[in-house]
Amino acid sequence: MPTLTYLQAISDGLREEMRADERVFVMGEDVGVFGGAFKVTDGFVDEFGADRVMDTPLAESGIVGTAVGAAVVGMRPVCEMQFADFIACGFDQLVNVAGKMHYRQGLAVPITVRLPSGGGFSGGPFHSQNPEAWFMHAPGLKVVAPSTPEDAKGLLTKAIRDPNPVVYLEHKHLYRRIKGEVAAGSYETDFTARIAREGTDLTVVAYGAMVHTALEATAPEQLDGASVEVLDLRSLVPLDEAAILASVRKTSKVVVLDEANATCAAGAQVAALIAEHGFEDLDGPVVRVAAPDVPIPFSPPLEQAVLPGVDRVKEACRDLLAY
Amino acid sequence: MTSSRTENGAGAPTETALADVTMPQMGVSVAEGTVVAWKVAVGDPVVAEETVCEISSDKIDSDVPAPVSGVLAEVLVAVGETVEVGTVLARIAPGGGDRELRQSSAPRGRQTDAAPGASGRVSPVVARIAAEHHVDLSQVHGTGRDGRVRKQDVLAFIEALAAAPTAEPAAPAAEPPLHIESPYIPEPAPAPAAPSAPAAAAAPTTLSRMRRQIGEHMKRSLETAATCTTWMEADMGRVEAARRRLGTTALPLVARATVEALREFPALNATLDGERYEQHAAVHLGIAVSLGDEEGLIVPVVRDAHELSVEGLARRVKELARRARAGELTPDEVRGATFTITNPGQYGSIMATPVINQPQVAILDLEAVVKRPIVVSDDEGNDMIAIRPQTILGLSWDHRALDGALAARFLGAIRARLERWEG
Repeated sequence: MPTLTYLQAISDGLREEMRADERVFVMGEDVGVFGGAFKVTDGFVDEFGADRVMDTPLAESGIVGTAVGAAVVGMRPVCEMQFADFIACGFDQLVNVAGKMHYRQGLAVPITVRLPSGGGFSGGPFHSQNPEAWFMHAPGLKVVAPSTPEDAKGLLTKAIRDPNPVVYLEHKHLYRRIKGEVAAGSYETDFTARIAREGTDLTVVAYGAMVHTALEATAPEQLDGASVEVLDLRSLVPLDEAAILASVRKTSKVVVLDEANATCAAGAQVAALIAEHGFEDLDGPVVRVAAPDVPIPFSPPLEQAVLPGVDRVKEACRDLLAY
Repeated sequence: MTSSRTENGAGAPTETALADVTMPQMGVSVAEGTVVAWKVAVGDPVVAEETVCEISSDKIDSDVPAPVSGVLAEVLVAVGETVEVGTVLARIAPGGGDRELRQSSAPRGRQTDAAPGASGRVSPVVARIAAEHHVDLSQVHGTGRDGRVRKQDVLAFIEALAAAPTAEPAAPAAEPPLHIESPYIPEPAPAPAAPSAPAAAAAPTTLSRMRRQIGEHMKRSLETAATCTTWMEADMGRVEAARRRLGTTALPLVARATVEALREFPALNATLDGERYEQHAAVHLGIAVSLGDEEGLIVPVVRDAHELSVEGLARRVKELARRARAGELTPDEVRGATFTITNPGQYGSIMATPVINQPQVAILDLEAVVKRPIVVSDDEGNDMIAIRPQTILGLSWDHRALDGALAARFLGAIRARLERWEG
């Protein structure tokens, strides 16, 4: 199996689907000749032509709106937001139009919106956000967030083929940092959670880049040999409630980890689920680790202080293990 | 409350208005049950499904729930009475004006009554596991913050309970071990091997009173304790050199090391009587003394052994052994030990499974010191084979009171002191 970076795996999945299905096309700012701000679609315009790799104006509302229109007439558009933060400009088209189309008019909207998200590289408050909770809160949308190259490709394939609008969060800080074996050819990854590491004493629930933070913070040598399970959600909508509750049943102690701002984050939903349906399995409070409710600072030391890091996660786990 | 009672008493509503609480069928073959306790008094309000009384049969204990909400109007079967299945135990007058009041004032979660650990708080999972396994949480030692009982604590408690019955059959049958206190009696004459002894010599005799008492004591120990035995090898080189300088056997040195280890692990300087487990501050060390093959065995006690040096221990042990063999011990001198050492290694045995001296929780067995080729490492980490005086320390311990890891750590602490002996 070839070893690809997280970014290469996204390109690979997109390319496979475009080769296999003529209805699939790409829209976004500078995705054509320039190959995208992060080079996900590098070379795509040469292979697929400008009709299927379309440069757009700086107008996210237009990008998503055009995609919705194309989707309802049978196309499978993949929209690239240059940064996840910019989806705010396309919010109405995504949340109100795409998300409610099937409910109002019975029409499927099979669009995929790629959101390069997350911080950790001094991108500042407009280029570092994790806006997944906005879309979890909007019925009609699916929300996925891969943490590994293998899942990045499989989840993208699944998203493109899904008849619903899917918000696909790709973490920028993983793009070139994370490598892994990725199967050649086409495959789908289900919208379910995966156990990133088995454990018995405590569960850390995470997704996206935080899966790697969790794995590093809870390696056995970090916590006096405690056996910590790391659950990678992969999909936030639908949320794999069975997998979360099964892990809680096993370990009885949970740390929920978000890179996003704490209030109403995906982890808040996970914590609420456990409080309601996992209560009798708990041997300690459900502990949350997330970014405080502040903009992501540009200053590198300040950003490191705001984003949940290995030390904070380790400390939270150590504290809960001792409870 | 008052109005309800008045209403109930005065109105004495028609018989048809009352709901019967009957003796339930507790099992296919159970035809009757005994009322153990009433949980609701006549005149008190009761909520549907709330326990009205507790009942018991020869096979099972259970609660009888109220079939309806209302006020308990009559109790027809007294505590201790045994009645057939289907018998009416009590009657409930439906309604009951202050039902809501009772519901809100009497929370149904009974786990809050228990006060395990210092904090008294119980997590949901611990409460559930305790309820499922009928565990009294006040019996469980909490290792969480402020002594909170954690999930692993209650699981370990249940596991220990489950392990206890299976551990017993694994223990050896109650052939009382031969204890001997090696240095203070002369080398015994080799037992005349006389398989072809005259038939008269084999005539059956009744056991002596002491043998019967020993047998009874040993059997009871094996039936009571979940006896496990842990062994550990120790290099006795330094101890052998030291004891030659002191002119004693190894026993007082081992006793001293044991006393120090007991101070480090007070969980083993303890007694377990029924469910009462008590750790003791002072070490009263029992030393098993053989009175000869015919006579039996007695365990005089070195009181406050923690206050004695090796020389002091040697003198005291010697004196007690002499008095034991002379039949001069007083009852007080064989009582109250918190830990026992037995030392049958003189005849060359290298391992045994000693029986715990009840109600103590462990016994140390000291066997023969034998020269063996073993691998040793020098200061630079080079391995080589050397001839060393080795012994096998055996510790029988009660799995009801402690677990194998602790037993091993304790034994390891004794070994470390012996191997690094100075003086």
